[in-house]
Amino acid sequence: MVIVPAFNEQEPLQHVVKELAGAGYGVIVVDDGSQPALLPSLAAERIHYLRHPINLGQGAALQTGLEYALEQGADFIATFDADGQHNVADIARLLQPLYQGECDITLGSRFLEGASHNMSRARKLMLSAARFVNFLFTGLYLSDAHNGIRAMTADAARQLRIKENRMAHATELLEQIRRKKLRWKELPVSIVYTDYSKQKGQSGWNSFQIFFDLLLNKLYR
Amino acid sequence: MSGIQVVLMAGVVTLFLFYALRIKSAFVNVVAMFWFTGLAIFFILFPDYTHKIAHRLGVGRGADLLFYLCILLFLFVILKLFARIRRLEAHLTTLIREKAKSEAFQTGSKNEHAPLS
Repeated sequence: MVIVPAFNEQEPLQHVVKELAGAGYGVIVVDDGSQPALLPSLAAERIHYLRHPINLGQGAALQTGLEYALEQGADFIATFDADGQHNVADIARLLQPLYQGECDITLGSRFLEGASHNMSRARKLMLSAARFVNFLFTGLYLSDAHNGIRAMTADAARQLRIKENRMAHATELLEQIRRKKLRWKELPVSIVYTDYSKQKGQSGWNSFQIFFDLLLNKLYR
Repeated sequence: MSGIQVVLMAGVVTLFLFYALRIKSAFVNVVAMFWFTGLAIFFILFPDYTHKIAHRLGVGRGADLLFYLCILLFLFVILKLFARIRRLEAHLTTLIREKAKSEAFQTGSKNEHAPLS
């Protein structure tokens, strides 16, 4: 099953859901308090729809989706951004090592060989800074940071518990991967930045917010 | 007695009365508050003592010492408040998550808009 956390991504989400459902995946949309609710625009597709009555943040939406997917008896769970920057075909590639029992969780990377992206230089620089922060906080040095496309086994999902409601969850996840000694792997994925995803995505200022959340997370765990 | 001393003492006593009237039941709290109020009034009436303590600690004036202590106190309070906010947020998240999961449903199927149990 594929979890799509969404907040006000009306139009791109429709495409994403259509493609995911078309590819035969069970789709779980977690509407994180969008105004207006996302349901009417999605009613035509066959999906699981969950809604937070108020906006909590992407981390919270992911955790809700994970718990629900486990309740539904999913064997493999993927996460996918709602803004349409990911490629549906990449999910199958992320699932492959899981099927073969090579690892417990696979993470999409924009920078490994074979990946493609149309990223600005400023963004590239910011992401390498984010990788370094991830390394400081988690001890895992990845080729990418904060990428929304991932896949995991049900067993791995059961062990993860995202407590950071907002964007710091991506780093928190890595920390838990390390602590629970999950076998992880990065795989190249393609990303297409549209004007929409650029405008909606993380700005430089947000990274300070993330950093602050991470500090608090360490302080009060 | 100077004007500022009257103002400060009136403030402290009002705070104490407010506190004591509100929390009548917690006797220990009121006693502690009473001692703090007494201490405050003492230092307001005899500010020279704060000078002496400040000198012992290597601070020039009693007022400066208070200022430094207040900064520490505020930092402490802010940390405690952050902790409380995070706890509240966690509770709220749990509530909303349970609600979202219990109201989840599948679209595009026969049992449309009927919650899955």
